[in-house]
Amino acid sequence: METMQGDRLTSVVVCSAEELSPGQRKLVTVDGVEIAMVNVDGQLYAFRNRCPHQGVEMIYGPVTGAMLPSNPGEFNYGYDNQIIRCPLHGWEFDMKSGKSLFNPEKVSIGSYEVQEVKGSIVLKLKRVPTKISLKDFRCIH
Amino acid sequence: METILKESEVSKKNVKGLIDCDVHPYLDDFNELIPYLEEGIQRHMNIGKFEKSMLENMNAGSFTFPKARYANPNHVLRLDAITPEGGVPGSDPVFTVKDLLDRHNHTFGILNIGHGTMAGYHNVEIAAGYTSGSNDWLYDRWVESDPRFKMTMSVTPLAPDLAVQEIRRIGHKPGIVGINLQNINIPLGKRHFWPIYEVAQEYNLPIVLHPDCEGTSEYAPPGAVGPASTYAEWHTTLSLIAQRQIMSLVCEGVFEKFPNLKFNFIEYGFSWLPSVMWRLDKNWKALRSEIPWVKELPSEYIRRNVRLGTQPIEESFHPKDIVELIKMVKAEDMLLFASDYPHWDGDESDRAFLHFPDDLKHKIFYENAKKSYRL
Repeated sequence: METMQGDRLTSVVVCSAEELSPGQRKLVTVDGVEIAMVNVDGQLYAFRNRCPHQGVEMIYGPVTGAMLPSNPGEFNYGYDNQIIRCPLHGWEFDMKSGKSLFNPEKVSIGSYEVQEVKGSIVLKLKRVPTKISLKDFRCIH
Repeated sequence: METILKESEVSKKNVKGLIDCDVHPYLDDFNELIPYLEEGIQRHMNIGKFEKSMLENMNAGSFTFPKARYANPNHVLRLDAITPEGGVPGSDPVFTVKDLLDRHNHTFGILNIGHGTMAGYHNVEIAAGYTSGSNDWLYDRWVESDPRFKMTMSVTPLAPDLAVQEIRRIGHKPGIVGINLQNINIPLGKRHFWPIYEVAQEYNLPIVLHPDCEGTSEYAPPGAVGPASTYAEWHTTLSLIAQRQIMSLVCEGVFEKFPNLKFNFIEYGFSWLPSVMWRLDKNWKALRSEIPWVKELPSEYIRRNVRLGTQPIEESFHPKDIVELIKMVKAEDMLLFASDYPHWDGDESDRAFLHFPDDLKHKIFYENAKKSYRL
């Protein structure tokens, strides 16, 4: 586990860029907290793996766009490929901010800064982790 | 970095016994039913050796299985339950055992048909043939695969004589714990159903209601006024069907005539129970002479003979209020835990009842179902 400290956040190398290439996902556990990481067409996102509703794992959810709030009878599509839905009830979360679409102020899965740096995927954490590991999961997306 | 396998994950919080009153098995392929269907039925359905793929593309061609008019536009089956082979959630008994029964420490999982009934289909004999084949498939493929699986058997509500025949054919089997009747456009209290109730009571099998006909059948119960425009609206209206049916059962005297018969409404919610009890009790005091066979307060009958699945649990604005509501009408013995696995609107057993006291949780998770199914 490689960590570097600076800018209040701790940078952790999770895996190589090849292991999280476009369309792929990774699940990492940091001191008991599961963080889901997704690469959508080169765009990297990281958020907490558990839906705040009933604790279901977000890593199995689909990446989608969203129907924006509209006038009755109108359908306005947006947020293409920026939303992750809970695989159970389908709650929608903006992957960049982690905020839910139906109640952004109060309901969120949080988000973490994640970047590709020199061929490695780097996750930024608030604290230096004691225990960090990748978690296997049934990858169906 | 080390990789931890999910298989070594510990199971969820232990409960003192868990009976799940709603688990759904799915066919991977309609052809799985072929060995269980009589030849004449296969011929009518153009399956097996009678398959005519040419007809499949034609609109006015061959047999089509009743299709749901409403479907969740996002996903109907929870996406974290796709099988390891990439198959339909709920289609693999081995994976369901691991993903549901083991994970939540189930004592029993009661299977209610998932791939659909033909309970309100216009051709009753074909429906009866499919129903028998479907029941046999479910027993063979699922119930025999794990001792924790039990099932409700489907019958044909449009043809009580054929329903009674089916109950007499397999109702004695130990893996069958209830009868999946289906709501059609004949209120449940009517004499039409009484032959079925008589046999059900004789076999000590409860009548179970679970949505299917509401969305698929020609004889569907009128969709609470008229057709909804969206799935969101339709799904919400389902609770109204159970309310309407309970009123019929009470006023027709079904609970007087069949005092030992239970009616388990699964997936219709329960928070509407107070208003149904209060309204019926008030009316009975004034209108009792029109229904003189109703000899005590309707709410007493309901408490004794009706059971309600908790899923999809209503989420009160203040989480504790739903517990107060249950106490308000003394419904502690009426509620049955149901996961509804693998549907999108299921409840997770360790998260949906956070504010419930332990003794109430144990009733909901275990005791009530033990007394309300032939277990």
